[in-house]
Parts: sequence; C-alpha cells; structure tokens
Amino acid sequence: MATAQQPAAPEMSRGVQPLRAGQGYSFIWRRLHSLSGIVPIGAFLIEHIVSNFEALKGPAAYAEQVRFLNSLPLVRVLEWTFIFIPLIYHGVYGVYIWLRGQSNVVYYPWAGNWMYVAQRYTGLIAFVYIIQHVLRQRFMGVSLPEHPGAAFHKVQVELLNPWMLAVYIIAMLAVCWHFAYGVWLFAAKWGITPGEAARRRFAWVCAAGGVILAVMGLASIWAFVGPGYRNAPDDVAPAISIVAPVTPGFAAAAPLALLVKAES
Amino acid sequence: MPTKTVSFEIRRQASPDAPAVWESFELEWRTGMNVISAMMEIAANPRTRDGRETTPITYDSNCLEEICGSCAMRINGRARMACSALVDNLEQPIRLEPLSKFPLIRDLQVDRSVLFQNLKAVKAWVPIDGTYDLGSGPRMFPQEQEERYPLSNCISCCCCMEVCPQFNENTNFVGAATIAQVKLFNSHPSGEVLKEERLRALAGDGGIQECGYAQNCVEICPKCIPLTNAISDVGRDVVIQKAKDWLRG
Amino acid sequence: MAAPGIIVVGGGLAGLSAVIKIAEAGGTVDLFSIVPVKRSHSVCAQGGINAAKNLKGEGDTTDQHFDDTIYGGDFLANQTPVKAMCEAAPAIIDLLDRMGVPFNRTPEGLLDFRRFGGTLYHRTAFAGATTGQQLLYALDEQVRRYEAEGKVHKYEGWEFLSAVVDSRRVARGIVAMDLRSMALRAFPADAVILATGGIGAIFGKSTNSVVCTGSAQSAVYQQGVYYANGEFIQVHPTSIPGEDKLRLMSESARGEGGRVWVPRKPGDKRQGKQIPESERFYFLEEWYPKYGNLVPRDVATRAIHKVVYELGLGIDGQAMVYLDLTHIDRATLNRKLEGILEIYEKFVGDDPREVPMKIFPGMHYTMGGVWVDNDQMTNIPGLFAAGECEYQYHGANRLGANSLVSCIHGGFVAGLNSLRYAKSAPAVEGDSGAAAEIARQAGINKELIHNEGNENPFRLWRELGTTMTEHATVIRYNKGLKQADEKILELLDRYNRVNLSDKSQWANTSFAFARQLYNMLELSRTVVQGAILRDESRGAHYKPDFPERNDEKYLKTTKASFTGDISGPRFEFEAVDTQFIKPRPRRYDAVK
Repeated sequence: MATAQQPAAPEMSRGVQPLRAGQGYSFIWRRLHSLSGIVPIGAFLIEHIVSNFEALKGPAAYAEQVRFLNSLPLVRVLEWTFIFIPLIYHGVYGVYIWLRGQSNVVYYPWAGNWMYVAQRYTGLIAFVYIIQHVLRQRFMGVSLPEHPGAAFHKVQVELLNPWMLAVYIIAMLAVCWHFAYGVWLFAAKWGITPGEAARRRFAWVCAAGGVILAVMGLASIWAFVGPGYRNAPDDVAPAISIVAPVTPGFAAAAPLALLVKAES
Repeated sequence: MPTKTVSFEIRRQASPDAPAVWESFELEWRTGMNVISAMMEIAANPRTRDGRETTPITYDSNCLEEICGSCAMRINGRARMACSALVDNLEQPIRLEPLSKFPLIRDLQVDRSVLFQNLKAVKAWVPIDGTYDLGSGPRMFPQEQEERYPLSNCISCCCCMEVCPQFNENTNFVGAATIAQVKLFNSHPSGEVLKEERLRALAGDGGIQECGYAQNCVEICPKCIPLTNAISDVGRDVVIQKAKDWLRG
Repeated sequence: MAAPGIIVVGGGLAGLSAVIKIAEAGGTVDLFSIVPVKRSHSVCAQGGINAAKNLKGEGDTTDQHFDDTIYGGDFLANQTPVKAMCEAAPAIIDLLDRMGVPFNRTPEGLLDFRRFGGTLYHRTAFAGATTGQQLLYALDEQVRRYEAEGKVHKYEGWEFLSAVVDSRRVARGIVAMDLRSMALRAFPADAVILATGGIGAIFGKSTNSVVCTGSAQSAVYQQGVYYANGEFIQVHPTSIPGEDKLRLMSESARGEGGRVWVPRKPGDKRQGKQIPESERFYFLEEWYPKYGNLVPRDVATRAIHKVVYELGLGIDGQAMVYLDLTHIDRATLNRKLEGILEIYEKFVGDDPREVPMKIFPGMHYTMGGVWVDNDQMTNIPGLFAAGECEYQYHGANRLGANSLVSCIHGGFVAGLNSLRYAKSAPAVEGDSGAAAEIARQAGINKELIHNEGNENPFRLWRELGTTMTEHATVIRYNKGLKQADEKILELLDRYNRVNLSDKSQWANTSFAFARQLYNMLELSRTVVQGAILRDESRGAHYKPDFPERNDEKYLKTTKASFTGDISGPRFEFEAVDTQFIKPRPRRYDAVK
C-alpha cells in the first residue's frame, strides 16, 4: 500500500487496558476479601463486642467470658483460622485495594464517594489498631488464655492511659463504621440489594446495626474506665463469684451518655 | 455599554508528549452560548485573551445533541458533555480540560476506544443466525422493553469511567458502561444464549469485582442510566456463575 | 480466489448495513469513519422507522407505503427502487427486532406502531424517542461481532479523501487520511461503498451533525461521479436555533396548541412576555385562518421564512420567531409535552412553560446525492453509494421515518451488489493509480499547509452557511440563487488564500476542516445551480415565481457533473422511472 512520507507520530500513553475476559484470579481474591469481611471477621467482631459487653457486669463476669472462650475446643486453631489469618488477609488485601484506587472526592463530593473514601480510612485505622491490640493484649504481657482472671485489669491498665483511651474510642467507631458500611457494600455488590429502594432501606438497617455495635463497644470501654470498677484486682479467681457493681443501674445509663457524646 | 464577555481557561497540549499549558480566552457573550459554540468561536478567531495568536482547539464532537457521546470533557473539574454545558450555568472562568483517564491525543481530545474493546470482550451483541428473513423477533412485554430501553440509551461517552475511582491503569477496571451492556444483552431472549460467556468474561482481571461502589457513575451519567442497579444484578449473576462453574468443575 | 475485500466509507445505518451483508456473505470489509461508528449521525433520528407491517388492523400494505412515499416525494423518485424498499421494509423491522432493538411494545408483546406525517396508517415502529440511536447500536453490535471474528477491520478516525480510480475509470480503492498523524494512505479494494450521510454543514447550522459536510460526496463528484437532485433540501419548520447548531423541536408542540408569532414592531427589544397581545403578530393564524398554527410543514416553513427575511420581523432582528406555549397551564404541558420541553430547557436554558420558545426552520435532510443505478452503483464502476449520501429514495421530499428504512435497505442492496460486482470485476493493472492519487492528495495537503494568505476557513464557512441558508433553503428566487452562486465563487477565490493558524501535523482539526470546506464549496454549486435550472415548485423546492409543479419540463432527475470550470457543473436531465404510479397533483388539504 502506498503511503506518503510523514514524520514519526508522537507516542501516546497506553491508558487503561481492556478487560481480560475470563483471565486471571483477581475475581476470587477480591470477592474473598469482600466475603471475609462478613464471615468470619464481621461475625467475630459481633462476638467480640458482645463478649466485651460482659465487662459491664464487672471483672469477674468478664473473666468468666474470657475463660469460656478459651475453653472452646481447638481454640488456638479456631483463633488462627477464623480470626488472625482472615484479618491479615482482609487488612493486607484491603490496603492493596486502596493503593490501586484513585480517590476523586475533591471533584465529585457525593455521598457514595465520601463513603468510598471513609471505608478506606476506617479500614486502615482498624487494621493498625487491631495489630497493636492483638500484639499488646493477646501476645504481650500477661497471657490471658492462661490467666482469664487478669483480663479486666489488663484492659483497664491500657485504657487508663488517656492516649490509649482515645485510640480505643476512635478505633471502636472506625471499626463499627467500616463493618456497617461493609455489610451494606457486600449486599450491593453481591446483588442482594439490587434496587435503589432496597439499598436505601438496607442502609438504615446497616446504620442502625453499626450504631448499636458502637454503643455497645463504647459502653464496654466505659466499664473499664468509669467509676464502677476502679482498681480492679490483678487477677480475679474466675468462675467463683460475681462481683456486684458498685452502683447498680449505672452501667445501664452509661451507654446513653456515651451515645450522646459520640454523636456530638 | 461594555459588551458582556465570557472567560475560558483551556488546558492545551499540542501532542501527547508536549507539555500542557493553560490558555485564557475572552469571548463576547451570546444568548444560548454553550461550551461547543465558544470553541467554534475560538476556531474562527484563534486569539488568546492577551491577543496572542493561537490555534483552534482540538476536541471531539459530532451530534451536539447529547446523543452521540463524543464531546465529553472536564468542565470546571467535572466530566460532562460539552454540548449541553450552557455557559450561563457555569462559574467563570470556565475551565476546560480533557478527560483524565484516557490517553490524550491533543488538547481536549482523548482516545476512548478501550470501551469498544471492552464491549467486544463481553460479546455485547445478540448473535442472530443471519440477516435473511426469519420472521418476527421474540415477543417481549412492554415491561421488559421499559427495563431494557434505559440501558440501551448508553451513549459511550465514558463519563462513568472517568469519574470512577477504580477505573485506572492499576486495576484496568472495565467500568460501569460495559457492565450495564452485559445486563442489557443477558436480558434479551436470544441475547441470553451468550449469558454465561459474558458473566465469565466479567470475572476476568479488570472485571466487575474491581467496582468499589462509590456510585459516582450513576451520579454523573448524562443519560441517567441505572448503572448501580446493573452492577448489583450482574455482580450477583457473576458470583452464581462462578460458583456453578466451580461446583461443576 | 481470495474473499472479496470491500471498503465501506461511513459507519451510520447505511454503512453498517452494507458491512453486515458483506461480512455475512463471506467478504471482508475495511470500514472507514471519521468518528467511532457508534457516534455517527444516525443516532440523531428520533421518530421511528416505517414499514407496512399492518399490525393495527388497518389494512396497510407495502403498496400503500410505496404510494405514500412516491406521493410524498412529489413523484421525483425512481419508482423501482422505492417499491423494492417498501417491500423489504417489514422484514427489516423484524431483523432489527431480532437484533435486540428495544422497540416499544403492545401489551401482547408485539411491536407497537405510531402514525407519522404523510400517511394515514400506523406504520412507524419506534424505540422511545431515540429510534435512530437504537437502530445504529443494533447494527454497530453486529459489526463488532464480525470485527471480533476478523471479518471487519475498522479505521475510525480516518477521513476519506478520494477514490482510487484506474486508467479504465474503475474504482480500485480509496485514499484516506489518518486524522491523528495526518498521514495519507491508499487502501486497495475490489469495490468501494460510500455511505457518508447528508450535507448539512453547507448550510452552516443545520440539524445535522458536525461530520455531515458532504465532503466525500463532493470528492467523488469532482472525480467524475454524477451528483443528482442536489437542489432538494428538506427544511424542518420548527428547530431550536443554537449558537452551535439547530436542534429539532417536535411538531407536537404546535399540535398541543402552541402559537407562532413575532412582535409587530421590527427589532422590538422587549422580552416576549412583556409584549402585549395587541402588539403580537400571529401570522399563521392571520394568513391561514382555517388551519392556523397547524398548517402543513412546508407552509409553516415558508411563512416563517417570509416573516423573517421579507418582512424583517424576526425577534430582535434575528432569524427567529416565537413558538408560545405559555398560555397553556403547566400541568397540561407536563403531562403531554414534558420530554420535548426538557430538551428545550437543557439546550436553551429557558423554561418553555414560562418563556415563549424561539424557533426557526432548520435545514434537516438531503434528498439529493450521489447518483446511483438500481444496484446502488455510481457511474464509476466499483464505486457504490447508500444512505443519505445518494439520491434515489425520497424524490423531492422525504417522508418522516422513511430515512432510517432507506438507509438500511440501501446499505443491504449496496453490500450485496458490491460483492457480486467484486466477483466479476476486471483484473487490476499495476498499482491501479494509487500512487498517482496519493501524490495528488499530498500535493493538495502541501499547498494548504504552506498557504500564506489571510483567510480563516471557519469564517469562510460561516459566510457560506449564511448565504446558502438565505438563498437556497425554503424560498428560492433565481436572483437570490445567482447571488449565492456568485458568493460561492468569491469564497472559492478567497479559499485560495486560506491561512491555517495551525500548521502542525498532529490531530490538526482545522487542517482537516479546511479540506472539507473546499469540497463543501464545490458541492454547494450543484445545489444552487440545480435550483436555478429548476423553474418549478416541487416538494421541498419552492419558487414563488414558479409556484406550480411542471411535470412536462421537470419530471426529471437533475444530474450535475464536475467540470473544473469557473461556470460550475454541467447539467443533464434524466427521465424519472414512473412505471408503477402515474404522477398526480400533490395536495395535503384534500384526499389524495
């Protein structure tokens, strides 16, 4: 074919490449990430917050809960299979997802876009927090699986440090936010809520769930730092007796106060 | 009385490897002026605000009725169609920039062919037997038509891809437009014959899993296509398809 | 023998139809388009596509469709191809339906049909208000399928410059220019199909898309192809004047009670709403008390034209009149006209429920075009044409919703005939003239890029548009047409002094435009001079000095051929094929 002489054309950037139809494994990894946030991680989160809520009943009840959990069969296997490994995967892959995205909320400041950004920041906060939390509470200091009675005191010491208290409160809110919106995202992406109306309604459900979890979590924190159980013993004899709260009824009022605080 | 004017800041780039520069223009205001007519005016009188001679702006355009999908660009930071961007509704100076996620050709012109390649990758067509007379098509109720019609209104402007935080060179995400087309063709009685292939295609690298559900696509779409609904529906179908494939080996 | 290789230029309905037929029959196609084919002008068609499917129990037949089309076209169309088109139409609708076009449906799940201008039958299938878009997409998808199978190679962003014609006057391929690198290249082919649409840009602003310049038609016309019936240009009475283009305003606005008026005082500066009733001139109601605002399209068009150009009463001295709906309450407007009112709001920025709309007739469709025979082949063997760029289906005036069917049918016919031709085409000798054609085109490019004049091509184009719109659209006087021809000559002369402010060789749109402009100028002369020669009124061609149709003298196809001479094209006239329906007067105020 005849052509006329032309100078060399400038090079264009490659740009976003077309879909690799049916190729690769990113679908599995990404969907696994999404699923792992619900089960087991989300399920464990609920369990953890519910367990912590026992702290409101005092050091002994809390110790009993810790003891009970540690008495589950194959507890170390369960711990690694359903908690640590999924958490590491979810966190590391989540950071990878974040790094591959390009936020543009500056130009498009819409609700969904803000939530997209918030999901990444809350996820990172949660991940960093959880690493230190697991290291300091699970693997450093008194070993709680062996000394469940020391649990209340160990947490209390941590939370009496105002910096750590702030970290715990922020992390609690971030985790609940991340989880609640994660559930909503899961339902949207997996086609459980395929319509606008369904997504809107489910958003209320998720928001309510998130608020409940956050309130419970913050109430538990209050149990450690509030006046109820000041100076809890280093170790309570687990499963012997339950120490009654100093002011009955206070524990019930606390969450309300915290809720107001959290929302202001 | 001084004449009312309109000011523009246009990001110019003579070629993909040339440096980007901003040029300012001040044009006489006219009733009903839109961004396209402003650029036509510049072509007829290519001078910057300070009187320096320049070249006409290179940009894509065709129908100017927001139906061909050509003239997408960033106007005051946001992706939209230039033909329906009325000057009176825009804050000045009006900043014009090319779409940022597509290879730049020149000035405001970019290469959006990746969308057409994606449509090929998901087989976005009804595989008819032939064009000879085979009688009437499948019956379809009005409700089904009303479901399909909005999806079929996609003008391939690529705004949904431009505004998607997940559509970039790291993910090579396919984008909302293609996913909506998968839903369109999977919902056609004979198009459905390729449904499984389309779903498997969308599970490939850059597929539907890359969606971060920021929902910018549905906000920006000039044709108001229910893109997030399509992503949800197709997302479910892809999961089910992959599960079936896995279970059946 | 290798599969025939066909070049199709243009990716609208006609081009894509041809591609599909060729690929299906085993040929390979190189498809050229300035824009990605999915962005072709066919997307703009709104109303629908005609076919006598008779699904409404009205007894509609393809013969009736044929008669309406011939009658609507004022008997200027050759009847054999029109008859074939009307007979093919029902199967075309079925095919499109099978391709997945979301046509509107009846409750029983069948195709719905609406009524359109120029017929008494429900004959128009439609997909919402975007039928053209939906049809184009369906064909685009089929072509994409063939592209994936390797049977079609797309050259999007390439502009056709000329046909490669060998020493025996046979088309052997094309020369095209890459609109990025501006590189020229010759592509060989066994046959070439042009499907390059209308010529709206010649009129400056029209309802056509930016690429509808007629440049390709003009290029082959300058290479010896006849250009037929160029003087027949359809003008839509109510379009929305824009700074960049004209957009259609549906006739239903008048149907629902819209009133057309202008201020009685020329150049009245007041806003429409502030002008009292007594100072408004409802000219349609005054001139046509019986039909009022609902006079037929051509009558309305001419009246508006007269008010603006002869009486000088356009709004604020501009070429616009009011189409007023503000006397109708909001609820009614929203219920009946919401869709079209939103279009006005979007592109004009005014709410037509509050402010009278400003409208003006706009150049809409090119009935004339490249001359072809009944096989869609031009007088250069191997060069075919289909769609709006050729002349043969609409005569002197096109019926609404007939354009889509003519494009698809014409494309199919051209596709199949190009293949048949290719199989028995005479053998190629040497390089078939490709090198010479490349050299000629390179010479034109070189001259243009190095020209050191003082004329801006976009300003020349504006002047062309103004002249053509004023003298060669709605109402034509020989004096005005002659002025227009002189103006074009002046512009052709000034074109020699075009100075491109952009002399680069990368995505240089003004360079490509300047090349198109020359072709537009040459083609304009066939329109203007064809109109001068036709001293009658027929269809869209109206001369007040010759208000009647004159079958004795002018029931003829106008054929212009390029001379390169300053006097313009050479004209000859060809008898019209009227073997099926005898011409009768065309009147819409009485039963035909």
